[in-house]
Amino acid sequence: MEILEVKNVTKRFGNYAAANNVSFTVESGQIFGLLGPNGAGKTTLIRMINNILIPDEGEIYIFGEKLNSDLQNNIGYLPEERGLYKKLKVMEQIIYFARLKGMSRAAAIERARFWLNKLGASGWENKKIQELSKGMQQKIQFITTILHSPDLIILDEPFSGFDPINTELVKNILLELRAEGKTIILSTHVMSQVEELCDSICMINKGKLVLNGKVSDIKAGYGRNHLVIEFDGQDEFINLLNDVEILNRTNSRLELKLLNHSINTNNIFKTVSEFATVTRFDLSLPTMHEIFIDTVANQKGDKNEQ
Amino acid sequence: MNNKIITIISHEYITRIKSKGFIIGTLLGPLFIILLIVIPGLVAYLSADSTSKKIAIVDKTNFGIGQKLVSLDTSKYYLSDKSEDELRRQVLAGESDGFVVVDENVINTGEALVFTSGGGGIGFITSLENNLGDIVKQKQLKDAGATDDILKLIDKPFKIKNLKVTERGEQKDYTEVYAAIGYFLGFVIYFLMFAYGSLVSRGVIEEKANRIIEVIASSAKPFEIMMGKVIGIGLVGLTQVAVWIILGFAAITIAGTIFSGSISPEQIVELQNQTAMPQSSGSMLNIAGLEIPSISPWLIIGFVYYFLIGYFIYATLFAAIGSAVDQEQDAAQLQTPVTLPIIIPILLVFNVISNPDSTLAVILSLIPFFTPILMTVRIAATQVPLWQILASIVLTIGTFFLCLKIAARIYRVGILMYGKKPTFRDLFKWMRIAK
Repeated sequence: MEILEVKNVTKRFGNYAAANNVSFTVESGQIFGLLGPNGAGKTTLIRMINNILIPDEGEIYIFGEKLNSDLQNNIGYLPEERGLYKKLKVMEQIIYFARLKGMSRAAAIERARFWLNKLGASGWENKKIQELSKGMQQKIQFITTILHSPDLIILDEPFSGFDPINTELVKNILLELRAEGKTIILSTHVMSQVEELCDSICMINKGKLVLNGKVSDIKAGYGRNHLVIEFDGQDEFINLLNDVEILNRTNSRLELKLLNHSINTNNIFKTVSEFATVTRFDLSLPTMHEIFIDTVANQKGDKNEQ
Repeated sequence: MNNKIITIISHEYITRIKSKGFIIGTLLGPLFIILLIVIPGLVAYLSADSTSKKIAIVDKTNFGIGQKLVSLDTSKYYLSDKSEDELRRQVLAGESDGFVVVDENVINTGEALVFTSGGGGIGFITSLENNLGDIVKQKQLKDAGATDDILKLIDKPFKIKNLKVTERGEQKDYTEVYAAIGYFLGFVIYFLMFAYGSLVSRGVIEEKANRIIEVIASSAKPFEIMMGKVIGIGLVGLTQVAVWIILGFAAITIAGTIFSGSISPEQIVELQNQTAMPQSSGSMLNIAGLEIPSISPWLIIGFVYYFLIGYFIYATLFAAIGSAVDQEQDAAQLQTPVTLPIIIPILLVFNVISNPDSTLAVILSLIPFFTPILMTVRIAATQVPLWQILASIVLTIGTFFLCLKIAARIYRVGILMYGKKPTFRDLFKWMRIAK
């Protein structure tokens, strides 16, 4: 079932199109990665999905309904730039944001206790926000995002400001939420998190959708073009290899990208073994990191697009 | 009104009403205003009387004028029979503050020469002039053949007792007192519009600077966020005014019971005539409950209405300005066109008070941006015709909706704009974007 449908959405600021005819859908119960380089138009897109900005053209459907302010209660949003009232106490802050999402005061207090406890923040209720460290504030902001138990959760760089332990903690909560059937849209620049968490992704560059689909499908589409060779001996064979791009190179290790699908890897193996002993020969799918860089690099050529 | 706007209103109201600033402001505000009014009067009174200067009187007449003068105030005047040269030397050496020579010439011409070391304020010169003048004048009158009866008649000041004709018969009129009350209330509205308007602007900037606005905007409509804040803070202002009105009535009642036992009405009139600032100090005594001219409930209702509508007109504009900037320092420049129409009527208040029924006063008080202050002043100072009241209500409410429409558009775009400090041209552009 589709929980979100973005349909031919365009948003212009002056002459600049921050979103240019963007369309994609998000299946319910997924973690969906929203990727793109800085300034690609991710924030504009996220704001439109949150009904903060209204598209100039196109429509957004959530839960099958055209986006309107009533649907906001069923969305949780963690903006990239965190925002809390410095002078409020933690509990007051949580209650206020929860009430704005339509929760009753009593329910908000009860859920707040649960989540504060779960995130190792019990006992903070009466501390003022400004007394908390950045990481602690981050936890409170995260709690306010999910407190009202929204079906659609939009997180913009949710792990920034967290130490590795808290990052793990929040990651596990996201996986739990997915298991409960919640849908999470995750915007991040950390590709290892995408590998780890995301079922599907879409990628935006210069306001346009440039990549969309399941992570596994996208990788498969690139084919097994990622070759790792570990060897013992001379490395003069490198000059003899054609149609490859060297991604990484050390004395005994070589990481290659195959530029042509028709390359016979057996021939590469042969060439290498003439100079050195092969200790590892591993052909695999590309990483999201490579796909990201590759996609952005390809876009640079299209000058006529803008 | 839906739940979201009520949530925002109650958040704004409760967090502010609990703050130390509000409690202190509410309790100390009236004290501050009273001091502001009383101190100039007090200073004038004290400086007129409390000179430590001592003046030597050289009496060359045989009528005992010097003696009479000294007996008026022995702390100021003393008789001396030293020569003028010696007295001059004393003044130069700082041993004496000054001297005056009283001779036949003084009585004939009505002029006296006073020699001092210079400076020291005009207070003591004035009192010397009055004291010596009185004595010389009496002597002159007596020389001209005036009897004691005539002298008494001259001493007795002339007074006007103003009566207002109403349906319930003639009542004592308190034009001056009402004018003073009008000035006072106008000033309070001015102060409140400023204080609460900038509270709105600061609140909006805080939410924008701390990026809170993005979270709230993902939960409620920009219009609800803006109106919630404006109404919430307005209710704080209303609470403060209500507390002040209650405190005021309590003070009047308490002061009334304390003073009415000890001072007779004649003494009050006497006091009023003596004080240096008859308008304000006289009315203060009245406000303190000694002789309260009936304050019409309509004046209080009018005051509350004009305060509220004035607040709402300006608060929406303050919110729009706040939404446009990233930090408070940047707001000052953009705020000028909003603060100017608050300040202008305060400069016109005296004009309106002295002629509250003039065409100019009527026109000025019907300009919606000036109405809150000037109409309150007029209602206190005169009988404003009903049509003018109704016209002012229609005009102010219309203006409010116009301001609200403009402000809401600027706000909607402004809260998400960061970086460049906006100009007025940008604000107009935003208004057009936010259809």
